[in-house]
Amino acid sequence: QDIVLRATATSNTDDEDYDGLVVFKNYVENASNGTIGVELFIGTQLCTTGDECLAGVADGSIDIFVSTSGGAAGIFPYIQVLDLPYLMSDDRIAEEVLTGDFVRFIRDKALEDSDNTIRLMTVGNTGGWRNYANTERRVTTPADLQGLKLRTVPADLPQELARGLGASPTPIAWPELFTSLQTGVVEGTANGITDIMNMKFPDAGLKYLTLDGHSYMGAFWFMNNERFMGMTDEQKTVIVDGFAALQQATFASPKRKEIQAYADFREAGGDIYVPTPDEKEAFREAAAPVFDWFRSNVAYGTETLEAFTVAVEAAQAKIDAERAADMN
Amino acid sequence: MMLSLFLPLFLVFLFLGLPVVFGLIAAPGILLWMNGQERDIALLYRNVYQGMDSFPLMAIPFFMLAGELMNRGGITLRLVEFAQALMGHLRGGLAHVNVLSSILFAGLSGSAVADTSALGSMLIPAMEKQGYTRKFAAAITAASSVIGPIIPPSGIMIIYAYVMGESVAALFLAGIVPGLLMGGGLMIMVKVLADKYDFPVATRRQTWGEKGQASLKAFWPLLTPIIIMGGILGGVFTPTEAAAVAVGYALFIGFFVLRTLTLRELPDILSRAGITSAVVLLLVGAAMAFKTVASLARTPEQLASIILSLSDNPLMLLFLINILLFFVGMFLDAGPAIIILGPILGPIFVSLGVEPVHFAMIMAVNLTVGLATPPMGLVLFVASSVSGEKVETIARAIIPFLLVEVIVIFLITYIPAISLTIPRLAGFL
Amino acid sequence: MGILLGLISLLSRANAAVLALGRGIGVACVAVMVVFILIQVFFRYVLGNALPWSEEGARFLMLWMMGLMAPTAFRRGGFVSIDMVVLMLPTRIAAIISLALLGLCMVVLITGLQIGYTQVTGFAGRFTTDALWLPANFALTEWFKVPRAWAMASLPVGLALMLSVNVELILRSLATFFGAETRLPLIDGGQTLRAE
Ligand code: NA
Ligand code: NA
Repeated sequence: QDIVLRATATSNTDDEDYDGLVVFKNYVENASNGTIGVELFIGTQLCTTGDECLAGVADGSIDIFVSTSGGAAGIFPYIQVLDLPYLMSDDRIAEEVLTGDFVRFIRDKALEDSDNTIRLMTVGNTGGWRNYANTERRVTTPADLQGLKLRTVPADLPQELARGLGASPTPIAWPELFTSLQTGVVEGTANGITDIMNMKFPDAGLKYLTLDGHSYMGAFWFMNNERFMGMTDEQKTVIVDGFAALQQATFASPKRKEIQAYADFREAGGDIYVPTPDEKEAFREAAAPVFDWFRSNVAYGTETLEAFTVAVEAAQAKIDAERAADMN
Repeated sequence: MMLSLFLPLFLVFLFLGLPVVFGLIAAPGILLWMNGQERDIALLYRNVYQGMDSFPLMAIPFFMLAGELMNRGGITLRLVEFAQALMGHLRGGLAHVNVLSSILFAGLSGSAVADTSALGSMLIPAMEKQGYTRKFAAAITAASSVIGPIIPPSGIMIIYAYVMGESVAALFLAGIVPGLLMGGGLMIMVKVLADKYDFPVATRRQTWGEKGQASLKAFWPLLTPIIIMGGILGGVFTPTEAAAVAVGYALFIGFFVLRTLTLRELPDILSRAGITSAVVLLLVGAAMAFKTVASLARTPEQLASIILSLSDNPLMLLFLINILLFFVGMFLDAGPAIIILGPILGPIFVSLGVEPVHFAMIMAVNLTVGLATPPMGLVLFVASSVSGEKVETIARAIIPFLLVEVIVIFLITYIPAISLTIPRLAGFL
Repeated sequence: MGILLGLISLLSRANAAVLALGRGIGVACVAVMVVFILIQVFFRYVLGNALPWSEEGARFLMLWMMGLMAPTAFRRGGFVSIDMVVLMLPTRIAAIISLALLGLCMVVLITGLQIGYTQVTGFAGRFTTDALWLPANFALTEWFKVPRAWAMASLPVGLALMLSVNVELILRSLATFFGAETRLPLIDGGQTLRAE
């Protein structure tokens, strides 16, 4: 092996990130005829937080790293655009957007902001869509969230969103969340179903799940730019195709995994509620202030939101046309 | 793989007398440098920093501070008097009081070292005055102080939970019975020795009135563990916040209830707690960095396959692992040992069907006992400096008590219910 | 020997003064940490309105507590080590080993300091903290997010202080090697501190 790439994901082997990495490793090692190796470090073996891991990517001690939007918001705040609620209607739209030019738009900006050290390779999925889940009551309208102590990551945007919906945002570290739900330090959380079941949250009393799908759980795959640019065109092709395969794998993985997860959630006595279009519209309206907040408080927020909106509209038009063609 | 030499190199440095913190960084650092992996030295550095930047770890300075405040606030004295009222009349009275005080103190403090220095400075001279040998007094103080981090709160459990992603609350609950068991075992040994060597009684049997009075005086301090655990389980605060609340409570009783603390003492108390926890934090950071290099060298996988090749019977493996841990505990502090070995050993035993919380207890209790074994026995060092007796002498006198503690370790290992019943009742399992 | 002892006395006094200042700030850090977290509990549990900044603020202070107070422990011999083997060796050999180890510590500290400096001033330091805001003007109309570099600086500062202590310890053990142990100035609070 001429090149060994060191890839890390801070989640575990049950996570979609791992599925993506396995596909990537397999593709790259085969397609390069064994000249490029990929070494996986799953968990917090090399680094723990987004800040720390990205610093490692920047200085080349880590080649590949996958981050949630919150994990990279400390340096690329605009990627939180994916956390803005109710912008994309379903998986097909999201996948169309994330395989298109919008990712290149973010890549250029991230390269600029990192002195050409960090390259965004692709954006996949990690855990489906964020939904509101809580220990107290069925949530059908924003009013049901009123006063609910909702766990958020420490980043601003999710807190603004929770506050906008009337909940009381409470930053709690992920490993502490189980106990906090169980003891009532917090009463709810916004996560995908696979994460909820991986962490056994129903055992901590998490019972009510509202499938509002307010935001897409994007996974941002970063690579050390120098490492990538130092490759031959042939090798670059292998890497780029490897990331495309990885992206497809992470698109598919939560769809497959959530079947069992939903079944397990129901079996644990969980209550799953799908809001009607009217109810979803009410959530959308209640969440409106967070868009203003994003435009005025997030560096490069206005431009990013605009580019994103354009991409979503184009994707919607394209998918609608394809749907129409397939139905006739 | 040359990188895997970092472990023997670390041991060489350790034996030559390099401070553990520096050894944990220098050994892997030198090998990375010799390997030409200079970019990974930055990785090492970042892990030291990130290893310290953790909210759960903040419970350590807080509990340290709470313990320090309670000690200065005369609370230790009240606990000892309470213990004396209950057990002082027995043969070997002060030795029993020493153990019982450790159990009571354990509910306020998260560290064995704090326990040794607080109780040792009070009880060792008192025991000597009653005719116990100094080495015996120091030995029973050191032996019983390992109960401190087994009964909650506990710095070691906080570190374990932090590294392994377990619930601090569950580990705290799991430690209660093992801690009491340890205390009970030590008391039995005290009784055996007391009958054999005809130890003195400390006081006459106290009347119920006197006992009541002593309990009343110990009431406020004894409320601390109830506030801590009650608050955590009741959803009022997280374990780290509980530690801050314990500080607030210690200040409250020190200033307003017992009125034994003065403002002038505060800076010194804060300074002591700060310095001690600064060292612990740096140690945690260094151990996290050490662990990173272990991952780079694929040490966890190699060790796991070696361990699994020895046997596939969990009971047999648990026996072997206890011996390994005891041995490691002789040379390494409990904190770094947990950080380095926890992620290696934990998953192996969980995959063999051992409950994570149960394994946490096996590891934490075993390594805690290691604090009282030479050559690297922090508790022995402190007992030595408090009593003025040589470490080697205390190390010999402590052997009967260590024997008891080893038996307790095996009870905990082979009877999971000892650790798991309380967390199960509280709904954590 | 006179020069060496003079140098030691000078450095010893300088270190004592700087570390006393560090301890003073460290004490304030510990106190404010407690206050932050108590406020956090109060706001969340009593007022039902969790504060976004208290936890991160407390972590910030904890890192500085470490950076400013660990050097004191280093100077007072509070870093845990095994001295059993060295105690069994002849004094001269033990002194040489101890000097070599202090030299090793120096390499670690200097390397750490170099990396730390590039971390703080480089890319890693450009991240912002998650939720720490400070006013950018006196009218409090504009606020900025505290850069992570301000927290990250705690480690290099700690390493620099330890380096200064390390130099003093090397000079002291040189003096001991040449038999001037009894003429060394005492270290305040030395040999009383052990940590877990
Ligand atoms: Na304790
Ligand atoms: Na030991």
